[in-house]
Amino acid sequence: MSVICPNGHESGTADYCDVCGALIAAASPAGGSPATGLPVGEITEVLPVVEEVDTSPAARREPCPACGAARSGEDRYCESCGYDFLAPPPAPSAWEAIVTADRAQFDRLAVDGVSFPADYRERRFALADGENRIGRSRGRPDESAPEIDLAGAPADPGVSRLHAALERRRDGVIVVRDLGSTNGTMVNDDPTPIDPHTAIALADGDRVRVGAWTTITVRRS
Amino acid sequence: MSTFTTECYQNEYLPLGGAEVHAIVTVSSDGIAGDTSQPEAAEVVIIDTSGSMGAPAHKLESAREATRVAIDCIRDGVVFGVIAGTDTARAVYPTDGTLAIASDRTRSEAKRALGRLIAQGGTAIGSWLTLAGTLFATAPGRSCHAILLTDGENQHETDEHLNGVLVELERRFQCDCRGVGTDWKVSELRRVASALLGSVDIISHPRDMSEDFGALMQTAMGKSTGNVSLRLWTPQGASVAFVRQVVPTIEELTARAVQVNPQTADYPTATWGPESRDYHLCINVHPGEVGDEMLAGRVSLVEGDDIRATALVKAIWTDNEQLSTRIETHVASYTDQVELADCIQQGLEARKEGDLATATFKLGRAVKLADESGNEGTMKLLQRVVEVEDPATGTVRLRGDVAIVDEMTLDTRSTVTVRVGPGAT
Repeated sequence: MSVICPNGHESGTADYCDVCGALIAAASPAGGSPATGLPVGEITEVLPVVEEVDTSPAARREPCPACGAARSGEDRYCESCGYDFLAPPPAPSAWEAIVTADRAQFDRLAVDGVSFPADYRERRFALADGENRIGRSRGRPDESAPEIDLAGAPADPGVSRLHAALERRRDGVIVVRDLGSTNGTMVNDDPTPIDPHTAIALADGDRVRVGAWTTITVRRS
Repeated sequence: MSTFTTECYQNEYLPLGGAEVHAIVTVSSDGIAGDTSQPEAAEVVIIDTSGSMGAPAHKLESAREATRVAIDCIRDGVVFGVIAGTDTARAVYPTDGTLAIASDRTRSEAKRALGRLIAQGGTAIGSWLTLAGTLFATAPGRSCHAILLTDGENQHETDEHLNGVLVELERRFQCDCRGVGTDWKVSELRRVASALLGSVDIISHPRDMSEDFGALMQTAMGKSTGNVSLRLWTPQGASVAFVRQVVPTIEELTARAVQVNPQTADYPTATWGPESRDYHLCINVHPGEVGDEMLAGRVSLVEGDDIRATALVKAIWTDNEQLSTRIETHVASYTDQVELADCIQQGLEARKEGDLATATFKLGRAVKLADESGNEGTMKLLQRVVEVEDPATGTVRLRGDVAIVDEMTLDTRSTVTVRVGPGAT
């Protein structure tokens, strides 16, 4: 007993398609004719298969990435395993931290004796799995420099040596944690600093603000 | 035939564009053998008899005694043997290149043969394992298990040789490894145990050996189901980011995949007694539209090709952020405990290399994670290596005088996890 899934695959399992995993809604073997999930058994007319090897240049295509069988012409689905040639590749899940100077933040905080940097070039850091510390290294050879090292000029004097950490967890969630910094860590437009040593989950595009003008945007790249 | 049950913990809701699906699957076995005839076991005890086992003299005597205790635990009908390991391997009992069928007679013969062991020579663990593999090959169809005891580093063969042996013996038998004293290398024994799907532990004092060996052999005798694999089906175009055992210990299984067909792979799990293990799966799928529901993984326990239990890992896309940002407790806790093990191993490594800043940072983080996950066993071991000022923030000071045995115990047991309670939501 097999059913046809919403994406047109013939599935040996009736709950979810055993090719693409799509939910096969209301597919019961005895139930009338739902919009999706038609029992294959109801298809009575079977067209004869013409065994013909197409050797034209158009037919010489890449083999199926899933099973290696030759793709037949422009067919969307692999004849052998049902692979969907038009399916988009899985989305990459690389994250980066983009560091910029934020004029609005600087104006709002208006810290005495600190001027807004005249020339600030955006800095990008790829986020590694696990902890990515944000801070300012002293440039000593024996120290363990933070992964997101903001020591280079123009340096924000409001950023602590070890300020906060962006953590890329194994479950794919990005969190920020203040590591007990002097001036605190803010997220997006909330003026209240987050509690130190407490993980706050971040979404794509969220901004982490540290120091007098430093804004760190986390992005899925 | 024992009965397997599964439970799946996950937050199946993903944000728009979300492609990473996480789930914790708990597999339990009642360990009841039932009436179908289970293939009997084959057991080999491998004792290090290198020169160092003679110093102090009671070390070898303790190993003998422990092996006697283990032999007494072997059921009638199980086949068994004892190997003495130095820079070569020698069958101590039986000596005819096969395994003996356990009976009162063979058990006492084996125990007598142990008396003739002397401590002399080097250490070549690969050659010991190779001999064990040869002996097990004389008992086809049995579920094969070895206990390996050593007190030193693998000095008399190359790393490449040992690696080659491990690749060759993979899935041929299971091997629990024990290091006695502090002159053996944790990473080396962990590599052996991990490749051969066994456990690794430290026996800090020879007098504790008998109890440990007895317990190991009793557990081995309690295994009722062999040749069990975790089978994972994933939809077309999806990829398996990782498959990891997280309870009772952390064990990476990803690289052990045996492809069944383009969408299905088996991950060997060796033998099962009455026990329960947790697995963390991470699967990358094609993101769907809001409201779409798909099956991201079908997890089965298979014995040979018989499916014994199944769990479903789902993905549902939603624009409700409250649903999609919820971090499932089991996933969160086991993710933390894996990082805990990493932090301990990296922290101890940094400490060895004299990088005290990194060591303090990593071990401090380990303390915080052990505190949060309620892993009291690991916390106790950590406290022998660092002084904890504040577990909540992970503020610690490295202790100046750390006993090497405490450091090695922490390292060896860093992968022991605690299960997330049933009341957790």
